[in-house]
Amino acid sequence: MLDRRPAVSWFEIHSENYFADGGPPLATLERIRADYPVAMHGVGLSLGSTDPLDREHLRKLKRLADRVDPALVSEHLCWSSVDGRHFNDLLPLPYNEDALDHVCARVSAVQDHLGRTIAVENVSSYYAFPESTVPEYAFVAAVAARTGAKLLVDVNNIYVNARNHGIDPAAYLAAIAPASVAEIHLAGFDASGPIVIDTHGAPVAPEVWSLYERAIARFGPVPTLIEWDTDIPAFDVLLREAATAQRVLDEHAIVAA
Amino acid sequence: MRSSLPELQRRFAAALLDGAGEDARIGAYRNTVTANYRNALGATYRVVRELTGGPFFDTAVDAFAASHPSTGGDLNVYGGELAEFLASYPYARELAYLPDVARLEWALDEAHRAADPSGTPASTLAALAAIPGPEVATQRFALDPSCRFLHSPHPVMRIWQVHQPDHEGDRQVDLRAGGDHLLIRREDATPVIERLPAGDYAFLVSLAAGADLSAALEAALNADATFDLGTALRTHIASGVIMAVAH
Repeated sequence: MLDRRPAVSWFEIHSENYFADGGPPLATLERIRADYPVAMHGVGLSLGSTDPLDREHLRKLKRLADRVDPALVSEHLCWSSVDGRHFNDLLPLPYNEDALDHVCARVSAVQDHLGRTIAVENVSSYYAFPESTVPEYAFVAAVAARTGAKLLVDVNNIYVNARNHGIDPAAYLAAIAPASVAEIHLAGFDASGPIVIDTHGAPVAPEVWSLYERAIARFGPVPTLIEWDTDIPAFDVLLREAATAQRVLDEHAIVAA
Repeated sequence: MRSSLPELQRRFAAALLDGAGEDARIGAYRNTVTANYRNALGATYRVVRELTGGPFFDTAVDAFAASHPSTGGDLNVYGGELAEFLASYPYARELAYLPDVARLEWALDEAHRAADPSGTPASTLAALAAIPGPEVATQRFALDPSCRFLHSPHPVMRIWQVHQPDHEGDRQVDLRAGGDHLLIRREDATPVIERLPAGDYAFLVSLAAGADLSAALEAALNADATFDLGTALRTHIASGVIMAVAH
C-alpha cells in the first residue's frame, strides 16, 4: 500500500488500533502521516454511557492525537458499556432530554480533555427506544449546536435508520446545519433479513449514492470516506468506490477563482 | 415515572445478555456482539482455533465472554485470560497442551504491541563497561519491553510452527517430545519465538523480574549447572534482549 503511494487525499484510522505503546502499526502510521493527512475515528470511547468516562482510554486517545496531529478526531453518538461491562458495539441511545444533557456533558468533557473539537457520528440502529421524545436527527443536531462539536454524517446510517425506523431521510439532512458537517461516511449494508444491517461489507447501494448527492448538494464538498472493513475486496474495488464519491464531490466543488 | 438513562442502558444490556422474551431488534445486537468476540479472539488465537476447530472455538469464546466480560473499549487487548479459562474448560480437558498454546499466542500478541526498545547492544555494552567491578554483581538490567517468557511441559513451539500457513512438510507433533523454555519477543517488527536452554531461561526470567546479576546467576545455575554467565551476557546483549543497565 505504502509503496503504491495511492492517489487518495487522506487516510482514516480506527483510533484503538493504534493505542499500543509501540510496534509496527504505529511505525506504519507515522510513515503514512508523513505524506498524508490522517483522521482518527474511535469506536470504543462509549461516549453515551452513564458509566464514568474511561480515563485510561482517554489518555491513550490523547496520546495518539498528540502524536498524529490528526485532521479530525471522531467518536460515535452511542454507548457501549454499563456497570463496567463493555459490549464493544455501538449501542443505541434513547433520544430525549435526559440523554441529550448527558451526551452533551460527555462530549464537552472529551473536548476539554483532548484540547480540541471532536466530531460525533450518527450510528445505524436496529432498536428504537419507546422513551425517545425527539427524532434522531433533532438529537444529533442538538449535540452539535450545544457543544460546538462537528458532525461526521454517515449517509449510509441515515438510510439504514430510515428503513428500520421509518425516518424521512430528507428531513434528516434538512435538520443538520451544513456548517457543522466535518466529514461524511458511506458504506454498504445487508438488507437480506427483516432488519437492515450496517455491515461495512458491500458496495455502497444506489439509494445511498443518491442520498449522498443530496447531502453534498446541501453540505458542500465535504471530505468523504467509504467504510469497508469486513469482507474487504481488492484495493482497486475500493478505489473505484472512492472515485464515484469524488465525481459527486467534483460536481459540487466551488471552483477557485 | 420516566426511566432514567442508566436504567434504560441496564435494561438494554440485560435484554442483550438474556435473550429471553426475544426482541429481534435486540437480537441483531447480540449477533454482532457475539461475532465481534469470536472474530477478535479467533484472530489472536488462530492456532488454538485451528486445533479445536471453528465451532468448538466459537462456543468456547461465547462461554469465555460470559464468564470474563470485556471491561474496556479496546478489543485489541481483550482475551488475555483465555488460557486460564481453557485450563478449566471441561470440554478441552483432553487437549492438555491447549492452554499453553493459548499462552504462546497471547505472548506473541503482547510482543507485537509492546513498547519499542530504547537501547542498543553498543549502548548496553558501554554502560556495562562503565560499572565499577565490585558493583557488577548487584547490577540490574532492563530487557526489551517486548520480551515474554513461557515454560511448558508440552512441545508448544513445534505445535505452533506446524500450524503456520507457510509451514511445509511434516505436520506430525510428538506430544511426548518434552517441554519448551521459550522467549517470545518482537524483532524488527516481527514477533519471534526462540527456544532457550533452561539456564538462560532462568537467567532472563530472573532479570525480567528485577533480580540483580548475582541472583539471576544463582537461578540460572540452579536450572543448569553448566550455565556460563559470560556467554549468556554476550549473547543476550548482542541480540538486544538485555537492552540496558537499569539505573
